[in-house]
Amino acid sequence: MADLTAITSWTLADAQHFARRAGFGLTPADAAVLQALAPGAAIDAWIDCTGTAYDPAAFNAALATADVVLEPLVSANTAVAGSVDVAAVAAPHPFLVQGADTWRNSLNTAQALLAWRMQHNPHAFEERLALFWHNLFATGWHKVDNTALMLKQLQLFRSQGLAKFDDLLVLVSKDPAMALWLDSVLNNAAGANIPNENYAREVMELYSLGADNGYNQTDITQLARALSGWSFTFAEADYIQNPANPGQKFAADARFKVYDGTAIAPDTRLWWGGAATVSSNLHATGSITLFSQTLDVTTTANGWAKGENAIRSIISAKGSNCAQFLARRLLTHFVTAGYSAQDQTDVANLIQGAAFDLRVVLKTLLKSQFFFSAASRYALVEGPVSWLVRATRMLCPALPAGSAQTPKGYPAWRLVTNSATTFDQMGMKLLDPTGPNGWKEHTAWLNSNTMRYRAKAVAALALNETRAYNGTTYPLFPTFVTTDWFPSAPASAQAVYDRLAALLQPAPIPASVSAAWLAALWPTTFTWDSASQTKARELAFLILCSPSGQLY
Amino acid sequence: MTTRREFIQTLGSTGALLAGLDACGGGGKGSSSGGGTTPTPTPVPASPILVIVNIDGGYDWLNVTPPNAGTNLGVYQTKRATLGITNPALLTDLGSGMALNKDFTGMDTLHALGHVAWIPGIGMPNPNLSHFTCIDLWGQGAAVPAGNGWLGRFADTAFNPSGDVLRGLTVTPDLPVMLKGTTRSFVSITSAGGYVYPAYLLSTSTVPDAATLETGWGTALSASSADPGILAAAQAGKLFFDAQNNPAFGTGGTLTARTPTVPYPGDATYPVLKLSGAALSTSLSSQLKLIAQMIAAGLPAQVYFSRLSGWDTHSNQAVDHPNLQRALGGSIKAFYDDLATITTTAGLAQDRVMILAYSEFGRRVQENNGGTDHGTAGLAFCVGKSVKGGLYGGYPDLTSLDSNGNMKYTTDFRSLYATVLERWLGQAATATDTLLGSAYPRLGFL
Repeated sequence: MADLTAITSWTLADAQHFARRAGFGLTPADAAVLQALAPGAAIDAWIDCTGTAYDPAAFNAALATADVVLEPLVSANTAVAGSVDVAAVAAPHPFLVQGADTWRNSLNTAQALLAWRMQHNPHAFEERLALFWHNLFATGWHKVDNTALMLKQLQLFRSQGLAKFDDLLVLVSKDPAMALWLDSVLNNAAGANIPNENYAREVMELYSLGADNGYNQTDITQLARALSGWSFTFAEADYIQNPANPGQKFAADARFKVYDGTAIAPDTRLWWGGAATVSSNLHATGSITLFSQTLDVTTTANGWAKGENAIRSIISAKGSNCAQFLARRLLTHFVTAGYSAQDQTDVANLIQGAAFDLRVVLKTLLKSQFFFSAASRYALVEGPVSWLVRATRMLCPALPAGSAQTPKGYPAWRLVTNSATTFDQMGMKLLDPTGPNGWKEHTAWLNSNTMRYRAKAVAALALNETRAYNGTTYPLFPTFVTTDWFPSAPASAQAVYDRLAALLQPAPIPASVSAAWLAALWPTTFTWDSASQTKARELAFLILCSPSGQLY
Repeated sequence: MTTRREFIQTLGSTGALLAGLDACGGGGKGSSSGGGTTPTPTPVPASPILVIVNIDGGYDWLNVTPPNAGTNLGVYQTKRATLGITNPALLTDLGSGMALNKDFTGMDTLHALGHVAWIPGIGMPNPNLSHFTCIDLWGQGAAVPAGNGWLGRFADTAFNPSGDVLRGLTVTPDLPVMLKGTTRSFVSITSAGGYVYPAYLLSTSTVPDAATLETGWGTALSASSADPGILAAAQAGKLFFDAQNNPAFGTGGTLTARTPTVPYPGDATYPVLKLSGAALSTSLSSQLKLIAQMIAAGLPAQVYFSRLSGWDTHSNQAVDHPNLQRALGGSIKAFYDDLATITTTAGLAQDRVMILAYSEFGRRVQENNGGTDHGTAGLAFCVGKSVKGGLYGGYPDLTSLDSNGNMKYTTDFRSLYATVLERWLGQAATATDTLLGSAYPRLGFL
């Protein structure tokens, strides 16, 4: 059974284990600061974002100066009209470098922004949580076709990811990106129309209960009726202008609206951008029968969508099924894939006992003896994006220092996501999963192709790959071996290994393997010179792409 | 032309299935092939290659090969009032009450050549309307599904565990469950070049100690461990490592360059476009081009896997579905023609390849607001010179749908697998039955 009682003391290794799973890792020095606190209070603060350690000032300042710069304008030659000397820009730019023809709707730029947030957000937990919900409520840009609405959904996961699950499920059901993704906007059950089942099926199969777990085809068609007409509108304020082409507008926000034939607000457009004064009527009125209950689903005159009661009834009528489903997902992402049926039931009982309050559930789970047990340690293969983010957190300068570097925090992620669809080939096309089932986790992250691209990605990071553009050469990921990786000079090859292993925190690497690496890299005497510093990069690369380096 | 009623009576829509699976196939017996004479199929080659095309998302095959006669047509006209394809000018008659949508580019030509075996109504006894459950069931292909795939189990049996690394390939970035074995898995290779170690992401820089790094990585991959996660990572890495070091792959980790002389969908010279006039998707055509390049380069692969996604047409089907059909049919036809230009050491590529296309399910007969919902029985088809063209199994009876309004299956999908394993991939009959967990009747197209 899963021992869900809280630990009362912890070691440095425990604190690092927690930080890897509930964030994107901590350096040994930062982990020591965390470990000095009592685990209960430290974990509460980590999750609740309280205390100076999670002060977002520098992060918000960097975000505030973010903007889009067209890649052809990146040039150190300021004689070129409109050029931007990236090296002279005063802060890291998460949005920097945008293709000229893809203004504001570039998937790669949105991916870069998200990865950059993961790398630098001092409240790492909210990014980890957003990543978890992004996989569970998997929504794909290729159909939504709007990065702003995709990022709006991610922000929903940050802000409401610790709410009660039924509240979160209602908000997701009203989310504009989701409404486009699973055809809610086209779900017409008014009159004799036959509803579109897409969202109703997947909200139970993929988002709350699991396949064939507590519902049947009739429930799907009834729920589809309840959610018919669930759509959204755009107000004028929701559009932003292209600064380079003021005639071009891009919808950057949207608001929920049931399309029931009633008036829409003045200066408001329909979900496809059409001008209108009333919404079309797609909404089924009357009552439905769901899980043997009768529910009135007629939207009220003030716009309250009573269909949300149908969503809530998934949790109220099928609480045990839903709790078992959530337990599986939480265990597989945060704890271990090797859980027993009893472990799953124990966590499901926790979820039901907490009335689906996700904050209570996550805190209990992440403080538990079960989470910190030896069996849970390095028990999961890490997803490729968080795996790469964690490596950058260990090897790249943190934000305040990063902005003082030259070149100044060049937007590595934009170039990484731009090239060879790196995230896609690593097996996680961030913001654009193929289907609503998201990505399978743990060992499903691994195949020959994903391992190939993991090696390529960390080659860029550890081996200091550069990109030349318009006469300027930039490191993809600025890294500084002597100042950041080794603030004090290592005295031996073994000391180089020990420091890198402490930073990168792979699962235990067999001594025979590390010994073979060191013997090959430093066959004779050891001197901490530039040649050894290059070899330290190579050693970091080997650790990161070794089998042990994939676990966390 | 055989009427639908006669067709069903011949095949039996329920009870006579197991005995009558190939009653309508074989040299065009009982089927018209659109006017051509059906040639004698070429013998199954000594070095056969199987190319899987996964039609991902549950395709609405009812609009690809719609009924064009009898009571099925009546039901179809009623339930597909806006989306149905009923205009004879848009269809090629396949006989037996089944027609072929002309948007399925190139397939009418392949059919007329007698090289296509159509299996409408393929499915399973306990159908499921979940994409992901069905994808897993189709992938596993077993009497008792157990987490591995029918081709993965074939690899377990047929491939040399310490070699044969390139014998089963997917050109998709993922590794589908269909290709997962217990002891062996397929290699995923998505590009023809840069398959070297370590390959830089963006730049053309060289690594100072490349040989040291390569040896060092190999050391880590080969180290033993009791941890299943580490073992999985090691196996995945080693498949790449061994593949890129395999002399069959090509000098410098790059396949011999090849430019097809046959235009593929999406190419500038390809004559068929989307309804909008834009170029067709290159998603599948680029995968099949890569497979053709691999075959031309002499890779020892016996099985290739490819995929065209986007078929989950809940909405906008009137636009999306024709475009998808053009890309799917056009890519298969271009690939088939391209193979005629490739001579391998084991013979003409076109003589060695059979294409097997399948989807996880068909769609609901009744349309709704511009789209169709999840359904049950599907349409699989095989293309090749050794294939005895025609219709196999029975077209579902649209007057006898299940309680959800979905079609009842007429051919068990594992019969297709049994046929392919035994008659194309050369497994003994008993071994085939063992791989699938039961003895499924063979279809008559091979």
